[in-house]
Amino acid sequence: MVLGQAQMRLVNHVLQELREAAGVRLIALVSTSGQPITACSEQEPADLQSLASLTAGSFAATRQLARILDEREFTLLFHEGKHVSLHVAQVTPKVLMVMAFGSETQLGKVRLYASRATAALAELLSVPYQTDEDPAVDETYKVEAAKAIEELFENQE
Amino acid sequence: MPLINFAAREINYKIVYYGCALCGKTTNVQYIYRKIRPEARGKLISIATEEERTLYFDFLSLSLGTVKGMQTRFHIYTVPGQPQYNASRKLVLQGVDGVVFVVDSQISRLDDNVESYLNLWENVLEQGDDLRQMPLVLQMNKRDLPEIFSVADLNDLLNHTGSPVVEASALTGTGVFETLKTICKLVIARTTAS
Repeated sequence: MVLGQAQMRLVNHVLQELREAAGVRLIALVSTSGQPITACSEQEPADLQSLASLTAGSFAATRQLARILDEREFTLLFHEGKHVSLHVAQVTPKVLMVMAFGSETQLGKVRLYASRATAALAELLSVPYQTDEDPAVDETYKVEAAKAIEELFENQE
Repeated sequence: MPLINFAAREINYKIVYYGCALCGKTTNVQYIYRKIRPEARGKLISIATEEERTLYFDFLSLSLGTVKGMQTRFHIYTVPGQPQYNASRKLVLQGVDGVVFVVDSQISRLDDNVESYLNLWENVLEQGDDLRQMPLVLQMNKRDLPEIFSVADLNDLLNHTGSPVVEASALTGTGVFETLKTICKLVIARTTAS
């Protein structure tokens, strides 16, 4: 999946508006394979890498549960906590939206704004990537990355 | 295909450690976690049973730092090796960029290795990928134990793709970083080529 700068500017704008309207603490987009895409939060998100992998895993397991129950798919996942609750919705076949919120807002409000934003986000994310940007992953990247790999893993054994 | 985010200047690659039950997948990741510079790694997440057998996956994020202006990360996953957890293995394989197949070198584990190798082929094919086109490294693990197959024999049996082979003892760390280095370079080379 390749995401362009202009595309992500629009996506981040939608997330910012959604966060303010729904009154949630954190919104993150993650891929269904467990990679973080972007986040919008009151404070620096604690551990976006772990959040992404666990959300994707949890959502994937839920989808399999749906199949066992002959339901086409569950498009929503909700975890209710004492202080923080988590709402996960599918945006596109490859992108999930995670929202964390506390008692300062209500689930109904979160769901309402999330469903509206999901449609807008799905449209933005379905635009194919245009190659008008610097091809970051080229031969120079490969050489520099190989050097960085050697440095990171040297003298470890 | 890795996730490339030009706005955040990030590239994330997904690497999956595959293999039969108790072959040493989690041991590899635990060793990497213990030995790598703390600032280069995230938390080690394990979804395991009470007996510490992997139930769903282990996850570790490694940061390579900024390469040509792009923050580059490797997301390392393991799968549960026990045959009954195939649904979980398929989920973990989604969006994979490279696979490390960990072989238990012990003679008594031959059937389990073969079954797991065939299962990997089947699951990769099912998600529309081809293992012959995918970065793959075979790690011949447990080389320090008695009653093991030769690397040449294991290579004949399990390396149908002519993939790089690394001898290892994950418990002591021998070959663990060599395996990781090899797969990381392969996934980057493949992205560059495409």
